[in-house]
Amino acid sequence: MNPGTTRAARSGEWVARPGRAVARLGRRGWVVVAVVLALVVGGAVTSRMLWHDPAQAGMPLNVDLEQSAGIRFTRVAVVADGGLLEASYVVLDPEKATRFQSDREHPPAIESEERAESTKRVALMKQGHQMRAGQSYYLVYNNSGGVVRSGETARIVYNGFVLEHVPVIG
Amino acid sequence: MTPTRIPRPRRSARWAVGATALAAAVATALLGGPAPAQAAADNGLLCDTSPTNTFTLKADDDYIATPDGNSIYMWSYANEVRGHFQFPGPTLCVTSGQKVTVVLHNTLPEATSIVFPGQKGVVANGAPAQPQFDGGGSLTSLVQAAPARTGTVTYTFTAGSPGTYLYKSGTDVSKQVQMGMYGALVVRPDGHPDRVNSRADSAFSPTHEYLFLLSELDPEAHLAVERGGPIDWTTFKARYFLINGRSMPDTLAPNNASWLPNQPYGAFVHIRAYDATTNPLPATIRYLNAGTVDYPFHPHGSDERVVNQDGQPVQGDGGQDLSYLKYDIDVQPGQSIDVLMDWRDVEHWNELTNPVPTNLPAITDQLLVGTDTWFSESPYLGVKNPLPANITDNNVCGEYYHVAHSHALQQATNYGAAFGGMMTVFRIDPVAGCTTN
Repeated sequence: MNPGTTRAARSGEWVARPGRAVARLGRRGWVVVAVVLALVVGGAVTSRMLWHDPAQAGMPLNVDLEQSAGIRFTRVAVVADGGLLEASYVVLDPEKATRFQSDREHPPAIESEERAESTKRVALMKQGHQMRAGQSYYLVYNNSGGVVRSGETARIVYNGFVLEHVPVIG
Repeated sequence: MTPTRIPRPRRSARWAVGATALAAAVATALLGGPAPAQAAADNGLLCDTSPTNTFTLKADDDYIATPDGNSIYMWSYANEVRGHFQFPGPTLCVTSGQKVTVVLHNTLPEATSIVFPGQKGVVANGAPAQPQFDGGGSLTSLVQAAPARTGTVTYTFTAGSPGTYLYKSGTDVSKQVQMGMYGALVVRPDGHPDRVNSRADSAFSPTHEYLFLLSELDPEAHLAVERGGPIDWTTFKARYFLINGRSMPDTLAPNNASWLPNQPYGAFVHIRAYDATTNPLPATIRYLNAGTVDYPFHPHGSDERVVNQDGQPVQGDGGQDLSYLKYDIDVQPGQSIDVLMDWRDVEHWNELTNPVPTNLPAITDQLLVGTDTWFSESPYLGVKNPLPANITDNNVCGEYYHVAHSHALQQATNYGAAFGGMMTVFRIDPVAGCTTN
């Protein structure tokens, strides 16, 4: 998800949603703005606005992995009654991302950080079309036997890079 | 209003239910709102029920997420008891012959209403529900509406023939329904909540009841409304295709998935094979079309038996059974089709005593994508055989998997990206079930 953006139907381009112009403020005005922002940020933590973030809460980053693969992982979720695992990512560099998703022989492995188990069985709908920057895509993994479980943490291993402490939701 | 669902009997499911309930309680504590009491099951139909059949809905706006990362501005209905926007609207479950009351509170910037196609004698604010006209004689609404922002209207009716129905906006219908103003109404036979209709042969397993509310949306139309402008219908083009408000792969996510807070209904189907003793009843799937075009929904792995259409049993004048098997459920706009679905080993194939009398297909015929498979290298449900060394096996216990999707393949995409959209997965476990996921 891209906060503050949506995509136009015909052009397919990401565009900013309507915003409100910020008026010129005095010192007192900025204090008010700061208080309001603090309230908004605090409220966001405990509100349903969380889902507007592009990544799930607590999702770690690995810049080296992102520069290598051209993608950023945004979510790992247990789905389908626990039997499948969905890993979502957003495209940062379409050219690299296309290579990443086309390399079917070397999918990222998802390893449990709780036990010595992992899965790299990408089972469904690995997409083969032109990828777009800012758009999210997904991989669906086999999760037989509950290799990775909701509430735990996992690591994503790809091309020598490791994204650790990924919270698993579901 | 008490959303209910019969708990699944499996131990793992009970654990999941408990975990989900705990998660919901924690989330509620954090979010400061009432618990989503629907968090009773990870998959299958979630009903809103009420001892008095009274439902209070709030017409409201918020956003939904699509799998490709888009964020779509929506209008829909919230169950006011839970106080949480959701899309589609809550699934209301009632009993045929009982009086139903739906109170609509409007917070939208324009008037809105609810029509209940298929229900007779609907009353709005004590008067017959009927089209409304302005002083110049122009139609303003199909029924009495709740005025913008603070209006209220109360509808009452006696629940009609058992089956599945849409409820949706009757005001500026094209716009408001496109914006998401619809939900499902399930009418159960009096005394037989485990039947689709009044016929005994429509009985289903209550723990395997599914709703597939199908629809589509054009994000540009929603953006126009978000910006307070009109929708340009001349350029309307649906880009997202939904089951229960979600697109693949979100359709696989559990009910009330935390990352889809405004889209509570999943569409993953998980059954066991038919067994006369341990699993004699089929699942039921209730198809509804809230969109503007046909959705040729293809179950893909098995026929489904059509037993009810538009809230009427498929039977002759003398009550003879006219239900029929379909391999493509063509759901037309506004239509509902209720089916029974099971998985039967009709020929009683057995690897040792009654083997399949043909050569088994090569593994390459069974590949889904690349070098992985959900095929167990055996045609016998519940049997796994060794796979070639270069093949990865996703199969736990010899179960079957298959996708199910709209066979208008542009409807199986997310903004043109295949696969996605109106698609989900069915899983069929052997009679004994799987000991693990």
